[in-house]
Amino acid sequence: MPEIKKKIEIINRLGMHARPAARLVQLTSRFRSDIIFKRGSDQVNGKSIMGVLMLAAPFGSTITVIARGDDADAAITEIEALFRSKFGEE
Amino acid sequence: MKGLTVSQFYDSLRDKLELKLVAGEKGLKRKILISEINRPGLVLTGHVKFFANRRGQVLGKVEISYLRGLSARKRKENIHIFFQQKIPFCIIARNYIPPRELLSEADKIGIPIFRSPLVTTRLLNLCTIALEEMVAPSTSVIANLVEVYGVGVIINGQSGVGKSECTLSLVERGHRLVSDDYIHVHLMEGTYLLGEGSELTRFHMEIRGLGIIDVRTLFGVGCVRQRKRVDLAVTLEPWDMDKEYERLGLDEGYLSILGVEIPHIILPVGPGRDLALLIEVAALNHRIKQMGYHSAQALDLQIKDRISKGSP
Repeated sequence: MPEIKKKIEIINRLGMHARPAARLVQLTSRFRSDIIFKRGSDQVNGKSIMGVLMLAAPFGSTITVIARGDDADAAITEIEALFRSKFGEE
Repeated sequence: MKGLTVSQFYDSLRDKLELKLVAGEKGLKRKILISEINRPGLVLTGHVKFFANRRGQVLGKVEISYLRGLSARKRKENIHIFFQQKIPFCIIARNYIPPRELLSEADKIGIPIFRSPLVTTRLLNLCTIALEEMVAPSTSVIANLVEVYGVGVIINGQSGVGKSECTLSLVERGHRLVSDDYIHVHLMEGTYLLGEGSELTRFHMEIRGLGIIDVRTLFGVGCVRQRKRVDLAVTLEPWDMDKEYERLGLDEGYLSILGVEIPHIILPVGPGRDLALLIEVAALNHRIKQMGYHSAQALDLQIKDRISKGSP
């Protein structure tokens, strides 16, 4: 089963607070692949809002996204696009 | 061991051990490589063979009185030999004022010296326990941790299978939530696992359709628990008609976390299955096995016995 890793930077000013986190997990939950976000030594379920919030990732920090499954490729592409769009803020 | 510095040790335990840094500040960046604490004995007389170096040292009544009893020259010499032994830090117990030479040598070489009002043995015990915990290997597990009838149960499974609803049901029945969807697990004393949630999101849960709820506020402090030993793991999965699920419970599956084998149960999820009830029963079953009674084994023995007595 394909596994894809990608480092993505947080470029929206307020960082990963509740609203972007909610948009992110709504996206990740659509994919069949398992999705994990890593920041430092913490590893969380990418489909869980609790997990994403727990990272408390600020502006400028980097998150590693790991997708494992048949649609891993599509998942990473769309996740990256969402980050780049600053989650629709600003 | 990951690099634990004396500075981190000091920050974490300053209040608990009532530590005060009195010398050797430049050594705060020293690494603590071994989690044991030592009380120097003969090394203070100059006997360095087999000295337990690379460990934090605690000096109490005996050690300080010995040093004070030496001539100034001998004291300086012995302290110098002591500090050559690769020591990360020293704590002087009972708030004793250490000899001047000790402080100046510590400043020179760069070994942090702390003073604490605590009694030596108590200081030794607290340090040991704290260090053990600080250097214990740890990892994060993506699952829920709930305390059910005193048993720490990890509940895992794919997103959407019903972990959170099941956990909420358990909480409603009086069990305690430790963490939703993320468990920080520490290996304690090399033998058992202790799990807890992340400080920020600790007692919060996400329920699809409801959003984020704070279990502690909604259900009360009696329904949550900060940390809990991990005793049992339950994996929820969609019922797979082609898969063989456990029918007897004689052979036990295990899940390995940080090298510790945790009994593992796989529960298929299907309509009409009260998962919370099943997990309660699994926890109770675990307890009774711990107490020495294994229901499935006992039944099997009775049946074997009946078979051997039965008529053909």
